[in-house]
Order: sequence, then C-alpha cells, then structure tokens
Amino acid sequence: KNCVSGGPAPDENSSMSRVMCVSAAAGVLSSSVEQKIYVELNETVPCVRLLNATHQIGCQSSISGDTGVLHVLETESDLDWILSSGPHPPYMVIMETAFFNRSVMMRMKNSSRVAGVAVIVSKTGLADNFSPHTTCPNQNTGVYSASYGSDLANCNVTMWNPLGNGLSYEDFAFPVFALKDENQTQVIRKCYQDHNLRVNGSAPQYPLCAMQLFSHMHAATDTVTCMRRTDLQNRFSINPEVLCDPLSDFNVWTSTRPLNNSAKGHAANESVVIAATRLDGRSFFWEQAPSAEGTVSGIVTLLATIQALSPVTQEAPPPRNIFFSFFQGEAFDYIGSSKMVYDMERNDFVIDLNNVHSMLEIGQVGLRRGRSLWMHSDPVSRQNKSVDTESAAAGLNLTVDQPSVSQPLPPSSFQRFLRVRGIPGLVLADHNTSFNNRYYESLYDDAENLNVTYPPDLSPDEQLVYETDAAKSLAEVATLVARSLYIQAGGEKKNLNNITADPKIWFLHQHVSDCVRLLWFLGSGPPQFYIGLGPRIHGPVHSVTRFVQYILANLTGTVTNLTESQCQNPSEVNTENKDLFSYFWVSGPASVNNTGEPFCRSASVRLSKAVSPAFELLEYGSPNYSIIPQSRWKSIRARIFPMLTLGVGVAVLLLSLLVTYFISSKAELLFSSARETPATTY
Amino acid sequence: MNLERMPNEEKLSLCRRYYLGGFAFLPFLWLVNVLWFFKEAFLKPAYTEQPQIKSYIKKSAMGLILWVAVLTTWITIFQHFRARWGEVGDYLSFTIPLGTA
Repeated sequence: KNCVSGGPAPDENSSMSRVMCVSAAAGVLSSSVEQKIYVELNETVPCVRLLNATHQIGCQSSISGDTGVLHVLETESDLDWILSSGPHPPYMVIMETAFFNRSVMMRMKNSSRVAGVAVIVSKTGLADNFSPHTTCPNQNTGVYSASYGSDLANCNVTMWNPLGNGLSYEDFAFPVFALKDENQTQVIRKCYQDHNLRVNGSAPQYPLCAMQLFSHMHAATDTVTCMRRTDLQNRFSINPEVLCDPLSDFNVWTSTRPLNNSAKGHAANESVVIAATRLDGRSFFWEQAPSAEGTVSGIVTLLATIQALSPVTQEAPPPRNIFFSFFQGEAFDYIGSSKMVYDMERNDFVIDLNNVHSMLEIGQVGLRRGRSLWMHSDPVSRQNKSVDTESAAAGLNLTVDQPSVSQPLPPSSFQRFLRVRGIPGLVLADHNTSFNNRYYESLYDDAENLNVTYPPDLSPDEQLVYETDAAKSLAEVATLVARSLYIQAGGEKKNLNNITADPKIWFLHQHVSDCVRLLWFLGSGPPQFYIGLGPRIHGPVHSVTRFVQYILANLTGTVTNLTESQCQNPSEVNTENKDLFSYFWVSGPASVNNTGEPFCRSASVRLSKAVSPAFELLEYGSPNYSIIPQSRWKSIRARIFPMLTLGVGVAVLLLSLLVTYFISSKAELLFSSARETPATTY
Repeated sequence: MNLERMPNEEKLSLCRRYYLGGFAFLPFLWLVNVLWFFKEAFLKPAYTEQPQIKSYIKKSAMGLILWVAVLTTWITIFQHFRARWGEVGDYLSFTIPLGTA
C-alpha cells in the first residue's frame, strides 16, 4: 500500500518502486505461504542420543530433517507395504501402540525404506508388558563383577527385568518421535486417510501426505570421542559448539539430627543409619519418565517414613542418627549414589563411610502381591540379622520374607556402597525374583500401573485427599520402614506403636497441597522423573528435586520468624545456624480469605551434587562410574505437508524461467509509459 | 591485463614470475599460467621468446598435475578414513561434522 502514489511515477523511479512494492507484498505474504503448506506438530516428544564408553544409543535424524510419505502401521500387511512393496519409499511410519515392540523396530532399523517413526502413545492396543530397558539393569556398575560374587554377576541367578526388550539401548539411524496428543494424532490420521490410502490394492497417487522430523544430534560414537571433540571446539574454535553434556542434577538428603554442613569428612561421634531410595526414572523418549512403580512408590514411601518418624525422634531420640537420601540418576548407572560414595571416600561429604552403621533401601514397593514384602540382602557379605524387621512388622498387615539364600541384590543404590565397604544392609521390594513391574522404565509406568483409581464422582480437590488402596499399601510399607529404622537406630521398642505413616501422605500436608497442585499441573500432566542436565543448562534445579526438597522442608522443618532478607542471610542472625540448617522463604497456606503470608522455614534438608565422578576425574572411558552424557541438538520439530513429485517442481521452475525470459524480452512493450522517454545510454 | 598489447619480453618475464611463484606451494599460479599462456605458447606463430614460454608452460603443467594427484589422493584417504582414525582424525580436522562418526 505504501507504494500507491497520486499519479504516474516518473520513469526512472517506476521500475524501482514496482520492485519494492512486489518485495514488500512478498514479505507480508511469505509467512502465510509457509503456513499454507506446513502443519507444525507441537505436541511431540523425540528420542535423543545418549552415549556410553563404547556405543551410541538413541536416535538420529539428518541435519535437515528426514522426510517420508506417511503410512499408518495398523496391520501386518501395512508392515509389508512399508518394508517391501510400497512404491513411494522412504516411508514415515505412524506406528500404532501395539506394534511398538522389539521385532518391528529392529525390522525398521534394518530397512532402508523407513525415514522415521512416530509412535502413537495410548493405552488402546497396549501389550501386556513393555519395558524398553535391558533385562539386567546396570549390570556393569553394580557390586557383582568377576572379582565379587562372580557367579552372581550379569544376572546369572535372577533375571531382574525379563520383559525388557532393550530398545532404549539400541542405536537408530532415523528419528523416532512420540505422539502424545490425541487431537494432533487425529490431524495426522486425517491427512493420511485423505491422500495416502490405498484404493482397491493399487498405490495412491501424488500429491501424498508427508511428514518431516527434525532431531539432529551433535554427539556421535562414544563418550570419549564426544568429550574430546567438545574440548577441541572449546580450545580452538572461534564459535565453539558443545556436543554433549553429562547428565547431572542433585541428590536430596536430610537427617533426624542436623549434621554440620561445613565440616566435611568423618563426623565425630556420629553413627548413621542410611535410608535411601531413588529419585529418577527414564523411558525410550526424552524427558518422559512417569515411573510410578519404579520411582514414585519409593519416594512416597520414604517421605511417609520421614513424616512418621519425626515426632518420635523429637521426643525419644534414638542413639544413632538416621540419614535419609534420595538419589538422582540411578537409572543411568547409579549417578547419584556413586557420587555420594565418591565424596564420602574423599572426605568431601558431611559424613564418611566410617560413620555409616547400616543401610536400608526402598526399592519398588508399589505392586505387592498379597501381604508380602521381600528383604533382599547380599549373599557375599551377608551378616546375620543386619536389620531387624520382625519386631517392626508385628501388628502390621504385612509379612516380610527373605528370598532364597543365594540370590544377589536387585539393582539398587546399596550396591554402590557395597563396592567400597561391606556395610550391612537391606533392600526392600515387592518382588521376590524378577520385578513385578511389567512396564519398568517405560512411558506406561504411570498411575494406572500402580492401580491408583478413584471413585468416579470425586472432584480434583477430593481426589487429593482420598485414600486409595495404593496409598494405604504404601503407608503400611512406610510404617514398617519407619519402625525398622527406629529399631536399627537403637530406639526403644516400646515407642514403636507411636510410629505410623499416614496414607494421606500421598498428597501430603494440607499446607503443601497447593504447592503440589501447582507443580503437578504446572507441566502438562504428571511430573516426569528424568534426570536432565542440571542447573547450568536447564535453569534452576529440576522440578522433581525441588518438589522433594520443599516437601521435606515442610515435613521436618520448623517455622521461624525471620524476615525475607534475614532468611536469605541467616548468618547475620545469632539464633540461627547456617551450618546445621537451610532456610527457605515459602508462601504460607492458602485459605479462602487470605492468600498465605510468606514466611521463613528452616530445615536440615540439603542438596548434594549428583554428577558422575568420571566427569570430574576426566576419565571418560571409566568402567567404574557412569559415563552417560546426553547429546546436544539445535532444533527438534515435526511437521506434515502435502508432497508433490519432483517433476512438478521442475516443471514449475522451467515454466517460471520461460515466463521471466518472455517478459524481459518484451519489456519495452509491456512497461512503456504514455510519454516518450529520451533514450539514454549508460 | 591484455596480453595482446604486451611486448614479448614482458610476456616472457610474466610467465617466468608465475612459474617461479608456483614453487611457493601455490599450484594455482601454475594453473593460471597454463591457461593464460597456452594460446601464446602453442597457437601463435613463432617468435623469439616462444620456446622459453613453451618450456615454462610445460613445467607448470607437470607441477600442476603432480599437485592435483597428491591432493586428490590425500583428500580421498582422509575423507574415507577420518572416522576410523579416531583421535588422530579429530586432531587433524579443522571442522568436524556434527552427529556422525
């Protein structure tokens, strides 16, 4: 519009203004041309590349995305069409849930006709079990090796995850995305049905619906190569590209008696019982890890234990301290626990291994069969009656059994402690031999897997405090653990009956329920427990770690009347001790008529760094520690569009060249103005 | 520069300068030499300086062919084996492609 002027422009300016007019119009119209062609798919989750000492695992796309003709994989004949008989390879496979298994994926991997896979994530058609993890989790970084219990190593005695298909540890040369949003999947299906369906057995004609997936990963080969290349980039390149980042986050720990955080190394006169569980999970796809039975069952049980123990340990404190720890990164070769043990060995932690009396770990405890809970111990270093659970179990609706004498420990953080010192300890689990969890470390290990169901007529607020069966079951386990820990710490048995876990722990204290609700619904859907890359890259601390830290502060801390600035600098206040406590400025409980005044809470809850010691020691090929970095990438997106043959594109190009030539040769006729212009030559 | 208008002695000295310059690891000078003076050396009627220009052109051409052979061989080997050389390959590379071995 800004080039429309009052009258005919003088000749010298006419062509210039016409050019500017066209280019201005083009600038306005070009974005909508792209929108007319491409439909961006926003609700997708990629599979990314991870490395270890010798291999790369995960998925990779080409640097400018992988494009393929859409085909929905619903039946076996579709599979043949994609892999051998379809006339328009490469295909972009939209995979129904039932087909996402090892055999189909390996056939896709070996075929050159597959450009990528988009998996529809839904419960319809879901197989009875699906675990993309390996059958023997963390087999090389546990305690059993050629030199310690060699006949127990590598799951010779018990295969812990027999349903595991190992897909998460395969290397795919094409992108694999997950489609989580039903509406978006409908859009894709509609595009497929409109254009790509076979009619009476004959192939569909162009234009066809195609999809393009971008997930180009920077890292390649293995950890040593990736870290070396990152190092070379940082030293010699003007614009360094980082290729991969170590997985890193924080462990959360607390103790019944506060420990002096600034005194590292051996703590005098402290004998500590460690109660531990894991804080993370994983699945085939990036940052997706609902991990209900695998992780949440343990976290909630330990939180309930802490809540159950806090009144008794104030009134009748046991002689030994109880140290509660939530280890992050255990899915990836025990990142958090190996780091804590490493720090303890080097006297870089508040306690060291000489302070540790024994250890009780909570494994997967959500899917108990009947009343039984199993205590796993290490046959090689087994000591009699390492933890007394019988008196703890008295009066509860549980029986605690021991598996057969020669069975090794399941994959657990306790194994990392055993690698260094023969500490007595137990791992509590709901399984005797293999896991009860049929969806271990997968997208489908969610609340439904734990049988968390509500009566249909409850509002979300009522659901928040409803005691489900799962909650009651976990509360029983928590009561057992709390009582066992109290006895183990030397407490008197007469106080045991006062220790009971509250099933409402599932959504915790009313004061915290708003915080929980905020975190729960802040992301879309339930919290995901993938470890992530830590504060350097991801901004502040991972949401789940923060969540557990603040809940612990709420459960075990005390309210102080410090102001905000005092809360942030408590060393200035005489009565407060920054070495023993950490201070949190939190908003108060919300109620109907006030929004909650903020206040300062002090608690002995701390975070400790969870990054594999191999990255600090710079031993990137180390077999002793986790060396799993995650690749970096530039952009990850997906889009669908109608695809025309190359011939049409070439024809359009030639036609436009012809038209341009024709117009330019007749330019004097087409563009001359009414006035005669003097012929000027330059 | 138009060779048509240059006297023959200047042509000879230009040709010689390009020939000598190419020894400083500059094979493109030899390439330019060959292409530029080819007509002068082989297609024009004879003149006094022509035999010397011819010899410079021939030597430049031989040097050029040698360089092309060596560079082609090295580039082929490097592109093929860089991934297999691991650490040595990375230290020899100026730009390492992302995401592939």
